[in-house]
Formats: sequence, structure tokens, C-alpha cells
Amino acid sequence: MLDSIPSFARLVAELAKFPGVGTKTATRLAFYLLRQPDAAAAALATAIVDLKRNTRFCSVCFHITEQDPCPLCVDPARDGSLLCVVEEPQAVLAIERSRSFRGRYHVLHGALSPLDGIGPEELRIAPLLDRLKAGEISEVLVATNFTVEGDATALYLARLIQPLGIRTTRLAYGIPMGSELEYVDEATVQRAVQGRREL
Amino acid sequence: MPPLISSAIILRHVDYGEADRIVTVLTPDHGRLKGFARGARRSRKRFGTALEPFAEVRLHWVPRPGGELVSLREAELVSLRTGLRRDLETLALAGYGCELTEALFDEAVGFAEAFGLLRAFLDHLDAAGASAGARLLMELRLLTLAGIVPHLQHCAECHGALPEGPVGFDAGRGGSLCPGCGGAAAGLRVDRLTLGSLGRLLQTPLERFADIRLSPRTLQEGGALLADALRGHLPKPLKSAAFLAGL
Repeated sequence: MLDSIPSFARLVAELAKFPGVGTKTATRLAFYLLRQPDAAAAALATAIVDLKRNTRFCSVCFHITEQDPCPLCVDPARDGSLLCVVEEPQAVLAIERSRSFRGRYHVLHGALSPLDGIGPEELRIAPLLDRLKAGEISEVLVATNFTVEGDATALYLARLIQPLGIRTTRLAYGIPMGSELEYVDEATVQRAVQGRREL
Repeated sequence: MPPLISSAIILRHVDYGEADRIVTVLTPDHGRLKGFARGARRSRKRFGTALEPFAEVRLHWVPRPGGELVSLREAELVSLRTGLRRDLETLALAGYGCELTEALFDEAVGFAEAFGLLRAFLDHLDAAGASAGARLLMELRLLTLAGIVPHLQHCAECHGALPEGPVGFDAGRGGSLCPGCGGAAAGLRVDRLTLGSLGRLLQTPLERFADIRLSPRTLQEGGALLADALRGHLPKPLKSAAFLAGL
């Protein structure tokens, strides 16, 4: 059916490549775009092209940026002695939204995975060590995910960083704000009990 | 159709799309299954942390006619085995045990002994951490369960007795080799005492890992022997083995 409208079929095929978007959703999106004014479609196309043309990874922290080094790396108001290590750029955005951290970042672009054979050489660990050896950083906060891969990465980083005499910390485990203990899974409760602290 | 309920160990998972997950599990009655867990990453209600690798669960699932993937409906967590995350070696060895089990029992056919062995191996690592002995026992017992353990205490070719001292070993020719069958030219040299130790280990209960002490020579020679034996039966090198070797 769509074969008779090649430009429509091509757009559906491209949209269906997005994560979580199947052919049905892609078709719905394509019909939506069809109904939009030309200017709206052009603005979307330009935004996509600009994203690819103007953004890159920061040469210091490997977060996405339009200027190199990125604003987070050159901001004099941030604490240069505190470094937060994350798996992906999305984690930087999550931590920045929380407004709880005023240090700098390092994005690994992945996590160690024994089962997938992803080793340290496939992550941005060597540049991290170069940053640490420069001497300004006194604490590394490892903010990898609480998955097998995130735990493996945290254990590996601790092994590399602690001999450098740099304090190494990890995000706390705990019960989500606003939740009731009755409905929290036992592993999270177990970790929260282990990580209890003085009132 | 009402869901089937099985004990299962999560071997691994891959994310699919924005919110779903494809999970590979080992069950005692249905062997290795691959299941589609819709919404597993977004909603924590049905699955929670239960789909993390190495976890043991009671899995509610529905077969899908004609499809390899079953539909996962719910997973009740029995044990997450958080002790496996104590250090990198333990985590990596647990991953190796899962990958090796999957490689040797890669069918949707029930094999309760393989399930029991993997459960005991993970429980042991959870409690005691990684050790070369646990790895050797796991490899030897998996080879035995798969019916591919090499000849150890007699010559693989003439079935004659082996002399005292070091003898040749070649997994490609079936195992240990006496001098008359060209054992001297085999790539591996293994002491007769090591072969005796491995033979005795085959008599120990399948699910016992604690309180079994092995000499450094048994660990070294036995480890090399089992690596040689596994190489010939695995379709490709295991990723987790390379990861372990890199630690």
C-alpha cells in the first residue's frame, strides 16, 4: 500500500528505526507531519541536521556539547576537586536536574559487562585516569547504574582509583522518596538496611 | 491459557525498545528459555529487580506457538544473590558459570541436574566468593553432565593403564594418552596424581562446592586440562572467559 507513496514510505521507514517506535507509531507520526505546515516540517528537519552538525563529545568529560570543552568543564563556579563518573550522558542530565551536585563529570559511554565481553578498553577509562593523575581531583563519586554491569564498573574503578590515594564514593542505595516500605522489593530494602545511618 | 510457573535462574537480558526486555533463563523442567518481558524496564510492579542476571525467581510464563520467545507475565524474586557483587572476580565468575551452562545446555529441554548445579555454584559464590577451585569443579561437572568429560584415568585410545608421573593429554583425541599411544607428543602434560584427583572429584555430590580443597598442582594442571576439553566443545570462545582472563 505504502509502496505507491515512496516519500511517505521512506519517512515511515526512517521513523521506525527510533527506539521503541514500531511501524504503526511511525505511520501515525508520518500522518501527523503530513498535516503540519511546511515550516514545522522544515524546523524539525533543521533541528535534526543541526544536532548532528553542531554537537560532539567534550574532549575533557565526554558529555555531549556544542562547545569544547563543554560549559560544565569550564564553569568556574563548579568544584574541580569533585568528579562524578557516569555511564551515559543521560545520567549527567538526571544528576543536574537534581541540583545536588556541583562538581565536574566524566562520561564512560558504557559499562563493563562480563557476559557481553565489554572490557575496560571499550570505555573512556584511560582518559579518566589521565584526569585523575593530573592531581586536582580529591574525590570520585561513582554514579554507575545499580545493575550487574554498573556494579562491575564501580568495582573496577575502585580498584584503579583507590591506589591513587583519591577518595572513592558511590551513590547510596535506598528507598525511593514517597514510597511505602511494604511495596519496595526485598533487595532494595536489604541494601537500605545495610546502608542505614545515624539520625 | 493460564501461565506456567517454573523455578528459573536469570542468565542474562538485553533491553528491547524503550521499555521491554528479552530475558534468557534456565529452568529445571523446560531447559533454556528466552522470554519477552513487556514493560520490564518502565514498570517495577511485575518484575522489579527479579530479572537481574543470577537472580533466582518463580517465573510465570506463557508459551507462544511457533515462536522462540515465550511471554513473561511475572517474576517472583526468590534470591537476588547480592553477595555476588562483592568483588569483580566473583561477579565475573558467576557470569562465566551462566554463560558456560548456557553454551553446553542450549536447548529448551529440561535438565534438572544442570539447573541444580548452576544454582549450587551461584549460591556458593554468593556465600564464599570466587575461587579457582569452584571454577574447576563447575567446569568438570558441567562436562560430565553434558556427557563429554574426557578420559582421565586410563588411556583414551587403548584404554590401558597410565604410568606413574606426568602423562600426555589431548582432548581432541579423547583425553589422557599412554606413552604407547603417543602421549609423549601430546600438547599437555598432566601428572597422574592430578588425573586421580579429578577422578575422585567426579565422585563427589554434584551440588557440593564447600570444603573441597585442591592442591595448587591440581588447580593449575586440571584447569589447563579442562580448558583444553571445553575448547573442543564450545561453538565459540566465551566472552565471560576473556573478561575473567583480563582481570
